[in-house]
Amino acid sequence: MPDVAKIAADLERAGLGAVQVAEEGLGVVCRADTSDAPRVLEALKADGFEMLLDLFGADTGEGLVVTYHMRSISLDEDVYVTADLAYGGTLASVWTSYPSALYPERETAELFGLSLEGHPNPKRLLTTDAVEEPLLLKSTAVRTHEEVRRDG
Amino acid sequence: MSPWLDGALRVLAALALMLTNGVILILMLRKVLARFHARIGPNRVGPKGLLQTVADVGKLLTKEDFAPRAADKWLFTLAPLVVFVPAFAAYAALPFSETWVIADLETGVLYTFAALSMVPIGILIAGWASSNKWSLLGGMRAAAQQIAYEVPLLLSAIPVIMLAGTMDMGVISEAQQGAWAVIPRWYIFHPIGFGAFLLFLVAALAELNQTPFDMSEAESELVAGFATEYSGMRFGFLFLAEFSNSFIVSALAVVLFFGGWTLPFLPVEWVAAVAPVVFVLKVYFGIFVLMWIRGTQPRIRIDQLLSLGWKALIPVSLGGILFTGILLKVVG
Amino acid sequence: MAEHDDVREPVLIAEGASAPAGLPKGLRRVPRGVDEFATEHLIVNMGPQHPSTHGVLHVLLELDGEEVVAAEASLGYLHRGLEKLSEHRRYHQIGTLLDRADYLSGVHTELAFARALESMMEIEVPARARWLRSLLCEITRLSSHLVWMGTFGMDIGAMAPFLYILRDRDAVLDVLEEITGARMMFNYVRPGGVLYDITPKAEQMMLEFLDRFESTYLPEYHDLLTGNEIFRARVRDIGVIDRDTAVAFGLTGACLRGSGVAWDVRKERPYAAYGELDFDIPSGSKGDCWDRYMVRMEEIRVAGGLARDLLDGMPEGPYMAKVPKVLRPPEGEAYASVESPRGELGVHVVSDGSDKPTRMRLRPPSYFNLAVIDEILPGHMIADVVAVIGSIDIVLGEIDR
Repeated sequence: MPDVAKIAADLERAGLGAVQVAEEGLGVVCRADTSDAPRVLEALKADGFEMLLDLFGADTGEGLVVTYHMRSISLDEDVYVTADLAYGGTLASVWTSYPSALYPERETAELFGLSLEGHPNPKRLLTTDAVEEPLLLKSTAVRTHEEVRRDG
Repeated sequence: MSPWLDGALRVLAALALMLTNGVILILMLRKVLARFHARIGPNRVGPKGLLQTVADVGKLLTKEDFAPRAADKWLFTLAPLVVFVPAFAAYAALPFSETWVIADLETGVLYTFAALSMVPIGILIAGWASSNKWSLLGGMRAAAQQIAYEVPLLLSAIPVIMLAGTMDMGVISEAQQGAWAVIPRWYIFHPIGFGAFLLFLVAALAELNQTPFDMSEAESELVAGFATEYSGMRFGFLFLAEFSNSFIVSALAVVLFFGGWTLPFLPVEWVAAVAPVVFVLKVYFGIFVLMWIRGTQPRIRIDQLLSLGWKALIPVSLGGILFTGILLKVVG
Repeated sequence: MAEHDDVREPVLIAEGASAPAGLPKGLRRVPRGVDEFATEHLIVNMGPQHPSTHGVLHVLLELDGEEVVAAEASLGYLHRGLEKLSEHRRYHQIGTLLDRADYLSGVHTELAFARALESMMEIEVPARARWLRSLLCEITRLSSHLVWMGTFGMDIGAMAPFLYILRDRDAVLDVLEEITGARMMFNYVRPGGVLYDITPKAEQMMLEFLDRFESTYLPEYHDLLTGNEIFRARVRDIGVIDRDTAVAFGLTGACLRGSGVAWDVRKERPYAAYGELDFDIPSGSKGDCWDRYMVRMEEIRVAGGLARDLLDGMPEGPYMAKVPKVLRPPEGEAYASVESPRGELGVHVVSDGSDKPTRMRLRPPSYFNLAVIDEILPGHMIADVVAVIGSIDIVLGEIDR
C-alpha cells in the first residue's frame, strides 16, 4: 500500500493541497477537482507512478466521476485519482504525461457525452455518429430491437 | 499433312496439356498442402475427392462475371489473357521426348524464359486495372520483383548452356544421357551445374511468385494482391496460368539440371519408349518440391527480396558464368 | 464531442504563433515552392475486411510507397456494449457476457470479475476452487497462446503452424469441454468458486495431451518458426517498443515483458493458486517482435508445466463457497486483475448495494497494447505492419467490448 501521508505531502508541495487523499476499500484514492486532475497526475508521475493503467468514467446519478488508475512498477503500488464532472463537462486530456490515456479518453468522452480538451485526435472511438445518446449515461436506456422499432 | 492443320493440332495439343495439367495440379496442390498441414484435404467429391477439381471448375464457370465499377474494364479483361497467353505459349519448346516437342526451337531455353517474363506484365496490368490499392501494390511488387529476378534466372541457366554448348532443349537433354560411373550425367551432379541449380531454384521461386517470395499475392499483407478483385473464370485464368508456370519452370529445371526425359543405367531404347512419362513424372516431382516449400516457409519482406536479388544473386550468377568460362577454356 | 476533420490539413501557420520573418500578412500557408520530385502518399484502409487484422480491426495507413508514414487504429466494429449491458444484469448473469469479451480465454475475464465481487463481499474461496481456477487459466493460456502463435506465423506467411495449432487447440478444447461443459463460452468461474469439479477423465486427457505436446509438438513449432531464417529476418528488430514507451502506453503482459519489464500479475499480485506455485516469468530485453514471440513461446512451456503442477497438487475439499442466491455487494468499489494471455485484465466494479452493478469497467489489456501501434508503426513496411499487429496479440472482442 502506498504511503497516504507521503502522497498528500507531495501533492501539497505541488500546490494541490485541496486534493483529499484517503485509503478506501479500493486502495489509496486522491479526490481532486476536474481542473486539477492533470496536475495531480503529473505530480504523481514525479512520485514514480509512471503508468496510467486505466481511465474510465462512471455515472453516479448526480454527475460523472472519472477515475484514473495509476501504477508504479518500481514501487509495486497503485493509486487512484478521481475527479467529479458535471454532465456534458469537459475532460482535460492527460496524454502528454500518459499516452496510454489517448484511447480511453476518447472512449470516455464518447460514452459519457463529454468534450475533450487538449486531445490530439478527439474523434469517437467505438461507435459511429449514428449513435446519438451517450451510451453509458444512466439516462440512456437499454432497449430491445422490438422496442426501438415500436418507439422509434 | 498441310502445315496449317499440323500447326493447329500442335496448338490444340498444348492447350489440352495445359488444361489437363491445371486440373491435376489443383487437386494435387490441395491434397499435398493438406498433408503438409496435417489436414485431410478434399475427400467428398467423387472417390477420395478425385472429382474436386470438376466441382471447382464448375463453380468458377458459373460465377457472376463481376468487375468493380471503378475498374478499367478493357484492361481488367485483358490482364488475365496477358497472363494466360505467355504461360500457354511457353509449352511450345518443352521436349517431352526426342521427337515429342511442339516446336523444335534451336533457342528453346531463351524462348521459354522470354515467354515466362511476359507474365508479370499481365500482373501489373491486373493490379492497375482493378483500381484497388491492394491490387496496385501487388502489381508494383510484381514489376519490381520481375526486374530483380528475371536477370539472375536467365544468368543461372547460362553455365548449363555453356556446358552443353546449345540452347536447344532437346540437345541439352540428350547431353545428359548416361552416367559417370554411379552418378547420372545430369548437370545437377556437375559442380558448376549444382551451383547454378541453387541460383536457379531461388530465382525461379521468385519468378513463380511462390512462397517464400509470393510478394504480389501475399495474402496476409495485400489481401490477395493483384488478384483481389478477380473472381469467376477471370480468376480461373490467373490461377491456371500460375499452375502452368510452375509446370514450365519445373520442366526447365528438369531439362537443364535433371537430364530431361533421359534416365541413367537403363538401355536408351527402353527409356525412349516411355520418355514422355519419365519427363512428366520428373516435372511433377519438381512441382511437389515447390509445394513442399510453399507449405513450410514463411514469406520474406519485399525489401529483403530485392536486396537478395540485386546484391547477391546477380553478382554471384555473373561470377558463376565467368568461372564456367575460365574452367571450360582451361579444361577444354 | 469536439468537431473534427477527417481530411488532413496542409501545414498551416498556427494561429497566434508568430509568422516567420518576411512572410506577407494574411498568408495562411508557409510557401514551400514546388517540389518536382514530390510523391503523393497513399492512404489505405487495412481492415476491417483484411486477412491479417485478427478479426475486425481497421488500421488507416498513410503510405509512401510501401513505407508507413502514419497509422491510426480505428476500433468499434465489434462493439456490443458489454459494459452497458452489465449494468442491466444481476451479478451472476454477467459472467456469460464476460466470456464474449475475450473469446479466446473467457476464464480469465470471469475470474477477474469473480475476484472483484469476492473482495467486495469478503467471500473466502475454498482451496480446491482456487487451484481449479489456476488450472483453467493455464489451460486457456496455453490454447490462447497457441492460436496467437499460429496466426502470427500466418501473418509472416507460414501457413503450416496455424493448421498444426488447430489440431492441438482442439485437444485442449476437448479437455475444457470435459471440465466445464463448454468449449469457448464457459461461464465456469463463479463468485465463490467454480461450477464443476474436475473429472479423472479430464485429468487424464490433459496429461496425455501435455505428454504429446511437450515431447513432439512444441519442438516441432520451434523447428518450423523459431529456427527459420526467413522468420527471424522478418521479426528481428521490427516493431521495437522500448521500456519507456511500453510503460507510458500502459502495455502489460508479454508486450511489457518483451520490453524488459518482468511484471506479471501472477507474481506481483498473486491470485487463485499462484501464490503457492513456483514458476518463471520469461522476459525479453529489446522489445522487438522477436522478443515478444520468444516470451510467449516460453509462456506456452511454462503454462504446460504449471498445468502439470496444478493437476499434481490439487487439494481435496469443496470447490464452491457458500454464497447467497442473489449477490448484493455492499456499496463501494473494487478492482481485481488477472494475468490474461494478453496482459493485465482488470475488472472495476462500482456497487450501490443493489443486485446490479452501477458501473462495470473492463480493463482490456489488448486495448492498451494496441494503442502503441500508432506510435511505432511509422517507418515500417506494410509487411511489418502485419507482423507488429500480430506480435501484439489482439482480440477485438475485448478491445471493442
